[in-house]
Parts: sequence; C-alpha cells; structure tokens
Amino acid sequence: MTDEWTRTRLTRRHFFSNGANGIGGLALASLLNPNLMAEEAGAKAFRRYAPRAKRVISLFMSGGPSHVDLFDPKPLLNERDGQPIPKSIIKDHKFAMIKESDPKIKGSPWRFSKHGASGLNVSELLPHTATVADELCLIRSIHTETFNHGPAISFQTTGSARYGRPTLGAWLSYGLGSEAEDLPAFVVLQSGVKLQPLLDSYWSSGFLPSQHQGVAFRSQGDPVLFLSNPKGVSGTARREQLDLLKAMNRNRLAEFNDPEIETRIAAFELAYRMQASVPDLMDITAESKATHDLYGTEPGKPLSFANNCLLARRLAERGVRFIQLFDMGWDQHGKLVEEHGRQCRGVDRAMAGLVKDLKQRGLLEETLVIWGGEFGRTPIAQGSGDDYGRDHHPHGFSMWLAGGGIKAGVTHGGTDEFGYHAVEDRVSLFDLNATILHCLGIDHEQLTYRFQGRDFRLTDVEGEPIQAVML
Amino acid sequence: MGSPGTTGPRIAAMLAVISLCASSALAGQVGFNRDIRPILSENCFECHGPGVRNPKGDLHLLEPGDVVRPGDAGASRLVQRVQASEPSARMPPLSTGKRLSEAEIALIRRWIDEGADLEQHWAFVPPVRPRVPPPREGRLGGNPIDGFIRSRLESEGLDASPRAGRRTLIRRVSLDLTGLPPSRSEVSEFLSDQRPDAYERLVERLLASPHYGERMAQNWLDAARYADTTGFAADTPRPMWLFRDWVIDAFNSNMPFDRFTIEQLAGDMLPDATQSQRIATGFHRNSMQALGNNPPKEEFRIKGIVDRLDTTGRVWLGLTIACAECHDHKYDPISQREYYRLFAIFNNIPHYGEAFGVHGPRMLVTLDDASLPWSEGDPARTDRATLEAGLAAKGLLTAQVMVEMEAPRETRIHIRGNFENKGERVSPGVPEAIGRISADVKVDRLSFARWLVDGRNPLVARVFVNRLWQQFFGTGLVSTVEDFGSQGEWPSHPELLDWLAVEFVDSGWDIRHMVKLIVASETYRQSSKVDDRLRARDFYNRLLARGPRQRLPAEQIRDNMLAVSGLLSRKMGGPGVYPVQPSHVGEFRDASAGKWTTSRGADRYRRGVYTFWQRMYPYPSMVLFDAPSGERSCIRRNLSNTPLQALVLLNDPVIFEAARALGGQILLESAESSDSARIEHAFEAALARPPSAAESELFEAFAAKQRRRFAGNPDSADSVIHGRLPDHASLPATELATWTMVGSTILALDETITKQ
Repeated sequence: MTDEWTRTRLTRRHFFSNGANGIGGLALASLLNPNLMAEEAGAKAFRRYAPRAKRVISLFMSGGPSHVDLFDPKPLLNERDGQPIPKSIIKDHKFAMIKESDPKIKGSPWRFSKHGASGLNVSELLPHTATVADELCLIRSIHTETFNHGPAISFQTTGSARYGRPTLGAWLSYGLGSEAEDLPAFVVLQSGVKLQPLLDSYWSSGFLPSQHQGVAFRSQGDPVLFLSNPKGVSGTARREQLDLLKAMNRNRLAEFNDPEIETRIAAFELAYRMQASVPDLMDITAESKATHDLYGTEPGKPLSFANNCLLARRLAERGVRFIQLFDMGWDQHGKLVEEHGRQCRGVDRAMAGLVKDLKQRGLLEETLVIWGGEFGRTPIAQGSGDDYGRDHHPHGFSMWLAGGGIKAGVTHGGTDEFGYHAVEDRVSLFDLNATILHCLGIDHEQLTYRFQGRDFRLTDVEGEPIQAVML
Repeated sequence: MGSPGTTGPRIAAMLAVISLCASSALAGQVGFNRDIRPILSENCFECHGPGVRNPKGDLHLLEPGDVVRPGDAGASRLVQRVQASEPSARMPPLSTGKRLSEAEIALIRRWIDEGADLEQHWAFVPPVRPRVPPPREGRLGGNPIDGFIRSRLESEGLDASPRAGRRTLIRRVSLDLTGLPPSRSEVSEFLSDQRPDAYERLVERLLASPHYGERMAQNWLDAARYADTTGFAADTPRPMWLFRDWVIDAFNSNMPFDRFTIEQLAGDMLPDATQSQRIATGFHRNSMQALGNNPPKEEFRIKGIVDRLDTTGRVWLGLTIACAECHDHKYDPISQREYYRLFAIFNNIPHYGEAFGVHGPRMLVTLDDASLPWSEGDPARTDRATLEAGLAAKGLLTAQVMVEMEAPRETRIHIRGNFENKGERVSPGVPEAIGRISADVKVDRLSFARWLVDGRNPLVARVFVNRLWQQFFGTGLVSTVEDFGSQGEWPSHPELLDWLAVEFVDSGWDIRHMVKLIVASETYRQSSKVDDRLRARDFYNRLLARGPRQRLPAEQIRDNMLAVSGLLSRKMGGPGVYPVQPSHVGEFRDASAGKWTTSRGADRYRRGVYTFWQRMYPYPSMVLFDAPSGERSCIRRNLSNTPLQALVLLNDPVIFEAARALGGQILLESAESSDSARIEHAFEAALARPPSAAESELFEAFAAKQRRRFAGNPDSADSVIHGRLPDHASLPATELATWTMVGSTILALDETITKQ
C-alpha cells in the first residue's frame, strides 16, 4: 500500500518537480496551473477556508508616510506646537535622526475633514482618496519593531527584520500559485523619487524555492529582463527556433525520461507567450480617456505611480496573485510641507482611481488593496524653521485596506492624543499578515515551509487575524 | 478548485521514511534512530524533546518512567496517548494539526515491545569504518563505494545501469571536475585511447587542471557567503577577492581539509601566521556589514557573530545551532547556554572604525610577483610598483581579516536573543553532545578550529563528504546537508557515509582523494537514462541505480557557453570583473553601492566565479539560474526550471554573443563544408557528440530557412551579426547570421545546460 501511495504521488507530481532536491519546475506549477501548490521538499499542505480575496495589490510608500498629516488627526499637536513632548510619552526611545534631548511637538500644517457616510477623517493632502472614504478600512494602530528603513521594510515585506526571509508575495506564490496563464505570480512595479534604495531582497523568495521571488518590472529597458529578442531575430525566426528546440528536447525526453525536460519544453513555450503578453500588458495607451482621467496616467512617463496603478489593475485582471507597487521618496526628515505634498500629489488621484476602477469592474471584492509604508513619522519636528521635517516613527501609525474580504468605511484602532503610541486595538504586522492570509483563505498558522529543520511561517509564532475588520 | 490542502503531508520527510526505511524496518528489528526518532522528532519533540528545558506536562519523552515501558507497549503512556480516541486526550494536540498514522503507531508499538532500545542520535556517534560489502559473483568489482551502493540495490531487487558512453562520460566528468566542457580534440583523444585505464588518466588530467580549483571553489564560496559588497542598503564594494583566490589556490594545491579549516577559522592565531593564513580568515569576514552610524553598532556586531555561528554550524557541523540563539534547541541537544559558549569563541574580534566601510580589521597585502596572475597579458600593468600604487590608491590591496583581541570580551547569555537583555555569564566552550575541547587547552577560535578537525568529531568529516556527494550526485547521502540533527534526514546509505567519513580522515583529510574515489566509482559512471519502472520506483535516484543527470549550476551555464564558442578567458584570479548585464539593473540602488561599469577586453569573458558579486543586486542571468545572493551561507542550491531562464538562454546578449562567435567558428573551421558537416561541428563543440541523422536533418532545414530569410532581409542579418569578432569580419553576413541562429538554438538546448 505504501508503494502504491508513493507511486501515485510521484506520477501526479513528477511533472512539477525535479530529480535533485524535489524542487524545480515549480514556476510552471505556479505559472501554469493555479490548482497546484508548489510541492517540494519543505512544503506542507494546509487547509484552506473559502477565500474572500483572490489576490492582493500592495501600495507601498517607501520612506514612511506621515500618519499625523494624512490619516490620524491630532488637534493637540497643533495646540501644543513647539512645546516639548512629555517625557512620559517618548520614554527612552531612540530616534533615527532626532538627537535633541527635548524634542518639540509639531502640529500638522494640513487641515482634516470628514468624508463619506462613514465620516472618515482625511487630510486635505488626499482629496481624491477622500472620495473613496467609504471603501476604506483605516487602521490607525499599526506598530512595528524597528526604526531604520531597511529592517523596517524587511519587516513589512517578510514579517521579520532579518534579511533572508521570504516575502509575503513569495509566500502567496508558494502557497496559492498563480491564476495568470502567462505572467508571474508576483510582480513588482516601482515609481517615485529615489531617496532610499530598493533592494532585490524586498521581493525575494528567501528560503523558499527561487521561482517564487517577485519579478520586478523595470521602468527602463525591457519590463522583464531579457524579454526582447536580439535585434534582427524576427518573431517567425524565434518560432522556428522554438519548434526546433522542442523537437530536440523531445528526443532527449524520449531517451532520458527526465520530466525536467518536459518542464523545460513548457517553460520555453510560456516564455514565448510572455514575450507577447507582457508588452501587451504594459501598453496602456489603448485604455479609454475616462480611465486615464480617473488615474491621471501619462503613458510613457517613467516612474509614474499613476501608470503603475493602472498596470496593477491590468495585472489583477490577468490573475496575478500579488502585485506590489513601491513608491519611493516618502522620507521627509526636512521640507515636510513641500515634499510630503509632492509625494501625496503623486499618488492620491491614482490610488483613489484604482479603488474606483476595481470597484466598477467588479474586481474590488476579490482584490485586497493595502496601503502603507514601513513606518509613520514622528509627531515631533526634526529641524526647525520652514524646512522642518519628521523622523521615523514605528510606535503607532496608519495603514488602510480595501476590498477583498475587508469591511468598508471602518476605522480600527487608534493612537494616543499625541499620535505617538498605538493604544487602542493595537495591530502588529503579524496580525496584519494573519489578516491578509485569512482574506485569501489561508490559516496563517498552517502556511509553513520547512527550512533547517524548522517549520517557518510568515507570522513566526505570533499574529491573530483582526476579526473586527473582516467581513 | 482543487485546494493545495489535498496534497498530503510533508513530502520530503515522508518520502524519506517510506522509500528508505520502511522496507528494511518491516523486515528486521525496529531501529530507534532510523525508524522511531524521526516520528517523535516530527510530532513530539517540540514540546517534549531532549533539548526542551521545561517540557509540557513536565514530561520528557525519552526519560525513564511510565511514558515508555520497555517490552509493554500497551502499558506505555506514549502509546495510550497517541492512539487515544478522545481528541482532547490525544497527542499530538489537535491544534498542532499533526496526527500519527496507523503505520507510525504500529512501529512505535513494535519498538517498545522489542525492548525500546534508545540509541544516541546517529550523527553524534563517531563513525567507525564499516566492512565493504563484497561484489556479487560475476559482477564488475568497482571501488568500495560501489560495494555499498550495489549491496543496497541488490536488497531492493534492482540492477545498476550500464556505464555511460565515453562521450557522455568525458563531458560529465569534465564539467564536474573543472566546470568546463571538453574540447573537441579532448573528446577525440579520449575516444581513441584504448588503454584500460583511459578513464583514470582522464580523471588525473582533470584533477591536475587549475580549473579544478575554480570549480571546487564555487561550492565553498557559496558556503562562505562570498560577495564583493557589504550587503544591506548601502551595499558598498569591499575587497574580498584575495580570499576567493585563496580558496581556489587551496583546492588546486589540494590543501588538506584540516589545514583548510584551521586557516580559515583561525589562521590569524597560528604561530607566525603568514600573509596567506591571514587572508584565509576572510572566510568569516564575509558576513554582511551595515555601514554608517545609524544602526547601532553593537547590534550589527552581534548580527555578525550570529551569522558566523550559523555559518560554522551549517558548514562544519551540519547543525542548525542558530535555533539556540533565543532558546534551547527544541530538537537537538544544544542549550542556549551552549550557544553562548560558542558565541564567546567568536566574540573577540575588534569591531572598530567610525567611517563608512571600515568596520573590523583589515590588512594591507603586499603581493609578490608570483601572486599576480591577473597582470598577465596586460603589459601596461606588469610593472609591479605601478600596479601596487594604482591598486592601493583604489583600496584594492587590502584584505578583510580576523584578529583576536588580547583581552577577550565578556560573554553573557542574551535572554530571548535580545543583546540588550543580558543573563548569565558564560565561558567559551563547545556543546557537550558533540564533544569537548581538552581541559588543558585555552578555548578560543584556534583550539575550536583544531577540535573540529582532530579526527574525533562525529560530524565534521561526515558533513563534508556528504556535501561532496551532493556536488556530484545532486543529493547528499543525507539529503538535508545542513541538518544532521534529529530533524534531518536519515542517511540513504549510512554505512557508505561512515566509510567515506573515516576514509577522509584516514587519508589525511585529502579532498582530491575523495573526489577521485567518487568519480572513479562505477556508480558515478553509470548511464543516466532511466525507464518508467525505475523512475517510478526511485524517482529521486536515491538508490543510485543510474547516473546523475542535472541542470548545470549558474556559473557553469555561462562558462560552458563561453568555452564552446571560444570566447572564454581562462585568466585566473584578481579583482571581480563586470561582464555585460542589462542596463538599469538595480536601478534604484544606493549611490554607495557604486556603478556597474562593464569590463573591457578579455575580462568580459571571464569565468562566472570571477563576476563581481553585488549582494543586493546580484548578476541577474546567474540569479535566474539560482546562484545565491550571498546574504547568508548556502550549501544547497535550488535547481529551478522557469520561463525566465528560457528568456535568458535565447535573449541574454552574453549568450547571443556566444552564439555569434560559435557561428563564426563553424564557418571558419568548416569553410568548404556542407551544412551537415557544419552542424556536426556545432554538435561536437557544444554536446561532445555528433547529431543523429534525424537531428542533422532538422538543423539543416532550420539553417536553410534562416538563410533564405536573411538573404531577403540584409538589415536583419546585419543586426544579428552586429558585434561580431574581428576574425569573423570577412564572413558573408547572411551566412554568419544563419549560423548564429543555429548556435543560439544549440546553446539553448536542454542537453547543453545539463550534465547527463
């Protein structure tokens, strides 16, 4: 019976594995067939519940958007502007940049007002976002453990401040595969003003098999590395090449009976399809004027968050599992008024447009949209005069979710009256990740991968899905 | 929609248990280590294991009591609890999602009824040289490796595969020993060598090649997490290449593994340490290093030590000691206290320097002429003084090294792994379960390194020969090469592993001797063709009834194509080089990470091992073939098979350039020939074999189509041949373009990127 069991298993999975480490061919498993989980050494099956969301779009504001200027109004800061913040609040915290012993409170230079039936309080910096207030679930009590960009982004993307762990997108590719026929399961798009570097490790597969790593579509050159034929090689010539390769590889398969060869034949065909599907995906010119107006897109403009938001919708339509947009430039240690304004203008219309567009196309309820950064910004000033800024702030900040199994028009949790500590319904990143997985039908305690003798999880040994924000 | 949930439990562990153990367990006596420990480790040890200090219910599974009553399974609480019908009473608890199968429970019952013999975990028991099973009558002798492999095959009722053909064999062993394919003349020479020891002579020639060191170094550099930049956001270049060259030299001079170990871990502490011995300590300076003042320095100093322990544990001990940083190891007998005793051994390296880039000691290296192979063929740079001045100005003549502080730092346990929360003070030492350092020796890095290779350590030799095995056969005898602990896999051939380990030590830690044993074995020389029956029976080839067949590692894919096309530069050593990569790789990198300025001349065509390795933006075409980033030690690479690889093979400008060079080579060397003769040339160059008649026809038809197209479209022919070699300038454009397309197709074949 054991032998029978083994044989059945092997026949079923041989196409998607390889002879060496039990891994390989899995890009195809994840790329070609949504129903096959990446089965490999270390993989462990898990039960699923009915998913509300099929995919995730993450809008990541790299550098740290200021919660007290965007989503978490604190009148007390304006009342006490310029006064020292109580020691009882900041305790013995270290700041990344602020070195003064007696840092001063800084009120928000922007006005807040309530919007929609839900009465969500949104800053005047985000007028378009305010129009989708009733679609959002705002969480004002996120906290994280680290105050430098690298480790904090690592924490946000992988659930650990240590480098080398798999990212959320890689976990989803591994656990759920892709529904896209000719696109990767995990796609990254980048925009904005370069302040901090974006590292490949932000979309790495960590210790998961490497085919689960995110594919960063580039803003210059081929969107996917090596996508274009060499100059002078026509589509017909390429097809002839592939036919010859297929015939040759089939001969080899007949001779050696190695399923890896079969996988490779399929990989070449998929690559060929990607050569058509990716440029088609990236070409947004044929979208309607109404759509362009909705997002504020400018076809051809490099590093455009608006273009990326529209691409995110197109990727979602095509079944990509995890779409992550990194928008750079949110690190305002100085010139807050000027530069945070610039950042908000760069994203506001497009992200509101994305939510509206997903909704009008019936995609929002199956697509979970997440907005946030690696941390918030201090309610105290860094520097003085007109050029002041705000420092990194991990102790309490805001993110919003929309669609995909999340309640709309809801505010959850809160910070203290200074916008400093998350005090009410505190939400850790583990909780957030557990919630995201839950929306996708995954018990976060069950999605594991064995590495070095231990079953690792995205949520380590922590995290509870936030019932209050889920449908 | 079929959910992944239907796909059954942990594949690797189950396969291991079923295919390797079940048959023998059913036949003979139940063995604790082989049969029972994996079940308990998987299901019970997390709460009741040997390393858990406060086990749940105050109950250690392996301690005497009523949990296990030898000879009486029915009276043993272990059995009662795992088969309890009431879910709340059953172990493991429902919440773990784990449950023992009927077969597992039956095994446990049998083990208890048979007396419940406990054995120490096999990997902690020093290996003893086992008797080599004699060959069955009438069979080829082979070497001791074959004795063990065949004895197992016989007990499974399987036959070994016939020897691979000579062409297959010379390509396989050349790629394995040098990372380079055989040339056409080497192939024909081997084919015509009628001496009975032709293969042994071939192996000797390859082992003596300087490219042997380059090939062997690749795996060791993965393990050493070698890279040319600091990592983290700044990812600043720092000179590490002297260490890389040291490793290549060490393999080429066949430095014994004990010396190899001691010099890398503690070369600086040897009496009258030489420059070379200090450069060797670069091994542990490969840890990532955050720069600047923003991250607290102490935190990053600690991270460096944690990385060094993780790497040392993985590379030499095959243990996941990193698990004990925050708490006692749940599965293996390593307490948190013991972890910090190891930590104390590595805690005495100065970590100074406030400016960017100078954390930790560096050494100024004076190069003698003999160690300047990279100045060859570059007359402008052979003047040593000029060279040194030039390099020194660029900071290239420094090496990152280890230095031991005169007064060791105090080491305390970091409670829950938090370095700011200090607990009990500990002295340096090694985990008791593995052994101890003699009491009359001061415990430090040097005595630790010597202890590792004193020949009595139960793990070190096994762990290394197991990785060698993995290098040649794709999978280790213990497939979990990084984990020989109780969560690791039971060896597929325990006696063979022990025999190899003892042979390794007895040979004076002679690495080349072990490599030779492996590639000389009949097991290695088998054909890798397999029929359906055998594939179904032994999917992963763990029983080795056939030879290895595997995709080449990333660097070899590059090297092979450059060699086949004649572009390869065989220059050895020196600073990392910058081969062509797409523009805008890592387009949002930090300024401190520096720019990728493509190398000129022959340096564009150097072997993959010399590619400047930028941790945060590693060379993309090699990453797509699973080269590790260097962020942490890697001793088992993935072998993925993806569409993005197909794009590399057909579109990467480096590979297309190789295709163009191959096309030109075919035309020049077979100038007067027919298409079929040229195709034969291409096959011989790339695959070490001629095409079959059918293959030749396919390629001839393909070439004819391309020729017609290019003849009708000279512009596209000109585009295809743009960048051709000067030697190929006089070749007709249509022909060169046609044969470039043939070359491109041949280089993208599964067979070309596979050792078979």
